[in-house]
Amino acid sequence: MTATIVFQQAINGVVLGSLYVLVALGLTLIYGVLVQINFAHADFVTLGAFAAYFFMHLVAASYILSIGVAFLVGAALGWLINASIFTPLRHKGNELLPLIATIGVSVMMQNLMLAWFGPIPYAFETQYSGQVIRFAGIFVSWQNVIIIAVSSLTIALLYAFMKFTFLGKALRAVSQDRETAGLMGINPNRLIMLTFVIASALAGMGGAMLAPVLVLTPFAGTSVIVKAFAIVIIGGFGNVEGTILAGLIVGLIESFTTQFLDPGLIDIVVFALLLLMLAIRPTGLVSERREENV
Amino acid sequence: MIKVLRALFVGVAAIGLLATSPAAQAQDKTIKIGALFPMSGPGSYFGAQDKQGVELALEQLNKAGVNGYKFVVQYEDSSCGPLPATQAAKRLLEQFKPDVIIGEECSDATLAVMPVIEQAKVPLLNAGSSSIKVTEPGNPWTFRIMPNEVMQGVNLADNAYKRINARTAVLLFENTNAGIGNAQVFKENFTKQGGKVLAEIGFGRDVNDFTAIATRVAGLGQVDVIPTYTLEGQGLKITQALAQAGVTKGGGGNAIQIGTIWLPFGFEQKAGKAALGYIRIVQFDPTETRDLVRDFNAAFKAKYSADPTHLNAHAYDQIMLIADVVKRGGKDAQSIRDGLAATKNWPGVTGSVEFDKTNQNTKMDTVHYMETKPDMSWTSLKWN
Repeated sequence: MTATIVFQQAINGVVLGSLYVLVALGLTLIYGVLVQINFAHADFVTLGAFAAYFFMHLVAASYILSIGVAFLVGAALGWLINASIFTPLRHKGNELLPLIATIGVSVMMQNLMLAWFGPIPYAFETQYSGQVIRFAGIFVSWQNVIIIAVSSLTIALLYAFMKFTFLGKALRAVSQDRETAGLMGINPNRLIMLTFVIASALAGMGGAMLAPVLVLTPFAGTSVIVKAFAIVIIGGFGNVEGTILAGLIVGLIESFTTQFLDPGLIDIVVFALLLLMLAIRPTGLVSERREENV
Repeated sequence: MIKVLRALFVGVAAIGLLATSPAAQAQDKTIKIGALFPMSGPGSYFGAQDKQGVELALEQLNKAGVNGYKFVVQYEDSSCGPLPATQAAKRLLEQFKPDVIIGEECSDATLAVMPVIEQAKVPLLNAGSSSIKVTEPGNPWTFRIMPNEVMQGVNLADNAYKRINARTAVLLFENTNAGIGNAQVFKENFTKQGGKVLAEIGFGRDVNDFTAIATRVAGLGQVDVIPTYTLEGQGLKITQALAQAGVTKGGGGNAIQIGTIWLPFGFEQKAGKAALGYIRIVQFDPTETRDLVRDFNAAFKAKYSADPTHLNAHAYDQIMLIADVVKRGGKDAQSIRDGLAATKNWPGVTGSVEFDKTNQNTKMDTVHYMETKPDMSWTSLKWN
């Protein structure tokens, strides 16, 4: 086993992990603020992927621009669905209703996309897909360089937003104690909407980044969402730092399991880690009290 | 009042008589065909293309009917998986009560529905599942017109060793009955001839990024051929990842990807330059000069404004073979089963059909080889 292959697999793992992080961050944000699992998140990812695909192909725009469009489409969809479905249900006082509604939204979106886009897999080739950088036996496509760069930038901006801006601090206040935050003049409903919009925008953007990597069909998002849930649990539900760390770890586990064991064992290894974490460290990799998350 | 009632009775009786007259009966005579196709999930491209082939056949057959019979098809989404396929089969059997069923595409799904359909004593005509278990040891109600994994695998291994001069191979396959079975058949026959298998790499259908697998293959040294068994979506990503890793011809390497019947036409255009030199078995060769194939190509293009794929073709053949059985006297499940079993050298657009005692089509003219050219078109290799 050469060091080159180990290094190559490490790069592969970081690329994959960065994609997982983008998807998982939205899940963890929503859970951190609303204590709600969004089962439709995968479909926001898929719609973002299709938005980028069609924008790039119909408008003949650059791939980078299409990532921005997917971000905006995700944000708009998040606003629309939260305003029209989740918020009214949340006001009924039963926490189960919005949770079940996320399943309904997921099934509805999948079938709508199946009707619109058809079942045949799309080949999402960007101008960077076929361009490969090779040095000292290592290969990295420009597509993967973009994935790492955009993911890192997005994660850094999100982190800065949460830590240093008034809105970010307000979000954290709502996640700690929604009622007290309300008494302090913060409008929790507006911040819940903001959370949904940010999480959905991240999902859309994640879709645009994933689309050239995964198989683009109306069910594309569902293939990564199970891993994203595992990452959120391993990292600590609602914990942004933990989610980033867990995403990268899962990406690396996938690469090195493929190299040293067998790709058929990836899920066994990842979910064994998940069970181990639940058993010995149920608060996740980065331990915090839940109310301090986000 | 009595007169009115009597007139009413006579009128109703007359309508009843008319309804049971031979002319009305002829109109009501239908052969009910249940179709178990994957319409959702990663195999849904099968269902979409199968349906096109079926609809074309129905359009042609129902213009005049066959022996006074019209054909109706009820589609059910079997999703390429054992559980949804079984549920879909039960729905078909209980609600539609078909005379014959066609499908599924994925071997795991077909194997799951076979006992259910056998119990109902309805013939199942399969065109897309390659697992040997579909016809071995044999099920009196299941027929397969597609060459099974052994027929394809032995032939592919033989051609890899003798025509491509391959001596080393890496097997890539999805962890399903068909994926594992195809890979094992290739391995057995390739090693029997003197070839060496450097690695067997199986993966689940949820794997998205194949860069790690391509990296592993790149680290194995000189690889001559890479037999690959997976659905179209993952197949695209594997082909591109192998090219990026510089393993295959499409990426400047020496290895040639090869495969059996899994991928539809159009795969090369989607995979792009990465697919250069890919050699694979397809079930249908549209460049064949037989009138039957020419007519099918023309009719398909007229209806859909596109060239047919092998999936379109084998679905078309399934319906046309059933129609042939009806022409030979088939009228219900039992007689259609018997008619299928008695089929001799039936000419379809994918090739000819004649079943052995396990109900497997024995004809090798359904195995066509194609190779991807530098302009991403393909050429028929005429190896069989």
